[in-house]
Amino acid sequence: MSNFIQVLILGLALGGVLALMGSGLSLVFGVMRIVNLAHPALIIAGAYVAYWAFKLWGVDPIVSLPFAAIILSIVGILLYKLVFEREAKSAKYSEMSVLLTFSVAMCVEGALGSAFTNTQRVTSPGYATDAIFIGDIFIPTGQLYAGLISLGLIALLALVLKFSRFGYAIRATTQNREAAELLGVNVNLVSLASFAIGIALAGAAGTLVSFVFSFFPAKHWEWIAILMSLVVLGGMGSILGTVIAAFLLSVIAAFVGAWIGSTWSTMTFFLALFVILLVRPQGLFGEKPELT
Amino acid sequence: MTDLLQVTGITAGYGDGPSILDGATLTIEPGKVHCIIGPNGAGKSTLLKAICGMLKIREGEVIFKGERLNGLRPDQILRKGICFVPQENALFPKMTVRENLRMGGYILDDKDELERRIDEIMERFPILRERANQHAGNMSGGQQQTLAMARTMIIKPDIVMLDEPSLGLAPKIVQEMFDIMRIMTAEGITILLVEQNALTGLKNADWGVVLDLGRTLFEGPAVDVLSDPRIQELYLGGNKAA
Repeated sequence: MSNFIQVLILGLALGGVLALMGSGLSLVFGVMRIVNLAHPALIIAGAYVAYWAFKLWGVDPIVSLPFAAIILSIVGILLYKLVFEREAKSAKYSEMSVLLTFSVAMCVEGALGSAFTNTQRVTSPGYATDAIFIGDIFIPTGQLYAGLISLGLIALLALVLKFSRFGYAIRATTQNREAAELLGVNVNLVSLASFAIGIALAGAAGTLVSFVFSFFPAKHWEWIAILMSLVVLGGMGSILGTVIAAFLLSVIAAFVGAWIGSTWSTMTFFLALFVILLVRPQGLFGEKPELT
Repeated sequence: MTDLLQVTGITAGYGDGPSILDGATLTIEPGKVHCIIGPNGAGKSTLLKAICGMLKIREGEVIFKGERLNGLRPDQILRKGICFVPQENALFPKMTVRENLRMGGYILDDKDELERRIDEIMERFPILRERANQHAGNMSGGQQQTLAMARTMIIKPDIVMLDEPSLGLAPKIVQEMFDIMRIMTAEGITILLVEQNALTGLKNADWGVVLDLGRTLFEGPAVDVLSDPRIQELYLGGNKAA
């Protein structure tokens, strides 16, 4: 029984971090219909911010989180203005956005590789290798902190979306862009702000990732499939769905890793992606695609 | 009476495509229900979209209360006092009725005033109070249209433009939509309506506009439009209106 609880806790702790990693991706897709393949690469960029702040000045990654979020949000604004805004009126916007974000991912990876080499890195504050013991059960402190901070940030995002005027504008634009515009929402500004917030979440997730996983510039290729499985299972554009999917798949992956073998653990996400697309392509909270 | 809105010789179309509107002209007087009729492809919906800023006006001009609206964005035109309810999909299906009403007052800065106006609307339309916490997407077609129309009243606009509000509704419900329009005009809101069912639209309107091939063929009191033999023949299915 204690083994079961142990695996469950490890799965939940991982789920919290993945939920934050996927939330920004989901937000950007919901508002702008951009499948941002560069999202994990920008998470890695956030991880490097935390890594160097820790290495050079001894800044705790949790302290550097807001700075990484701000830096990445500025990157997001520049990317939106330089790359996506001019394509927004294109008839093939969705297709173009996949190619553009793929290109951005390659550029970010290249820039990071060139600046920091492809050496594996990990930020190592004291708590990253520590654990809390409750009887036979241990909780890795790093994962616990990362999971709790992720949940806190997601809760903050949910509160903003649910209760603030700007949150109403984001939700309205996500659900019906034309109607939102007709009710006075400046949808272009909402798109820009949502993109910046989405990328800021990538930066925030990066700082947490920096002490939970080892990372290097090309690591994002592994994460994109994992994050896509969360977003697709949750329902494209549904942040709540993404969070639930993150916990669900992380817990399943933890059990697969414990009972079948750790090499099969990551496979859980890829298999889930295949199965969801075959059985329920709209995911848990998405809308059924219309046949045209 | 002073004209509230004047549309003079406008041409407009979608993207880089050909012009759907080809010199359409329209005059809107305050406090009346205006109904635009015409065959499919006449440019009725396009005209509303051009007025509200969703489409770029290529030629001609739209003057509202003496101010030129050409080139303004939809949100800017809304702030001037012109509200547009598109054909279908006017709501946010995963927002509750109350949240949809709040979105109706998005441009209002005073939150307390917004809540007060929402309460007023709910008092006037009890079905919206009953369904206040229900997702808009789960309501019937008639209820959704009621919400879409009632929502426009939150900001107390000068003009509400409705694109086929009766689409897909049962005849009894259609009459309820026209009753709502009369409530709106009683509140000082002017209605500009596009209606595929020309007969029903004109019978409930004060002013009729016949549009064909992107041009205004006739404008006048709705009773005159209804009784014009040529219009009866071409657009009202013979002499059914008589």
